Amino acid sequence: MAKVAGAETIIAHGVRLDGDLVAEGDLVIEGEIHGTVKTNGDLRIGDQAMVEADIEAGNAVISGTVRGNINVRGKLELFPSSQMTGDVVTEVLAVGPGARVNGSVSMGGEATKGKKRTEADES
Amino acid sequence: MYCYVYDEALQDRRYERELAQIETRLTDLGIAGKIARLALFRDPIELIRDEIRAGVTTIVAVGNDLTLRRVIDAVGDRKTVVALLPIGPQGGMTALLGMPSGVAACDVLSARIVEELDVGEVNGKRFVQSVHIEGTEFVVHFGKQYTLTPQRKATLEMRNFAEPDDAGIQSPVDGRLSCIIRLPKFSLFKGKANVGVVPFEEVFVACEKNVTALVDGDRLEGKDFVFRVIPRALRLVTGKARKF
Repeated sequence: MAKVAGAETIIAHGVRLDGDLVAEGDLVIEGEIHGTVKTNGDLRIGDQAMVEADIEAGNAVISGTVRGNINVRGKLELFPSSQMTGDVVTEVLAVGPGARVNGSVSMGGEATKGKKRTEADES
Repeated sequence: MYCYVYDEALQDRRYERELAQIETRLTDLGIAGKIARLALFRDPIELIRDEIRAGVTTIVAVGNDLTLRRVIDAVGDRKTVVALLPIGPQGGMTALLGMPSGVAACDVLSARIVEELDVGEVNGKRFVQSVHIEGTEFVVHFGKQYTLTPQRKATLEMRNFAEPDDAGIQSPVDGRLSCIIRLPKFSLFKGKANVGVVPFEEVFVACEKNVTALVDGDRLEGKDFVFRVIPRALRLVTGKARKF
């Protein structure tokens, strides 16, 4: 997979990304994504963004629409405008009033460890 | 051994005095060298390569961004050190490299802080700053991993090195270029464009039709473009006030 390292990566509103994006730095998504998204840094999904992808991130703030599973090692914040369809695994979760989550939610150290263990078993 | 390549515009009489002062200062500092003058019918590449073959290790472009660009085009290796000695109206490189204009540049040149800069390449043509493709439809392929497609006409900039702006700060020593996509906003109120930035090492850009790309200001026609970074390809003298 392509590595996008260091500097902040921004997918602008009006731009569509198809494929697997792996970023080492912080990532901002304002546009459309179809594929997978991975970053060790912080991820911000803007309120006009449309993401159809499985996501892995260090920390994440979501204001837009996400269809896919999300695995966050740190804190996940769902803003009031966010619409989440998929399973959520995170250490810490903050949900704003009006945010929609359709899927299972697993939280705390055990959940993220369990997720990692499952991935290790699969490989 | 130094070689000073004078821009053809410096033949104008108004630069005579400043050039005399510069030449005196260079002699005082012990870094005077051979002078080569660019002219309309003289091939700069041949001129500069002859000097390198003759043993010159530092080529100083005396003039502006354009003079520097012509020198960089001619210097094909990584051994020769390149410098800009700014005289006359300047572009953006002077400030980026932290080189003062005129006689003051001689001292910076003498201090000889050499940085190894990345250089960009598009279809075999090298660039130091950036490549612009205005208002067109295109797809950017990041290897086999993913593609970026603007949903409407957009401006594409592949940047190595520039003044910080709405696309942030790009370093010319990080081994990457930045793909900057700007989409105009459709609004009654004029606002800033939507700006996307993705760092990369190599990409392929397929345009909808033939376009003109501005490669550091020079025109390059084409439909398909391959961009890549050549890390640490250029050894350039910089001042302490450089912006990277």
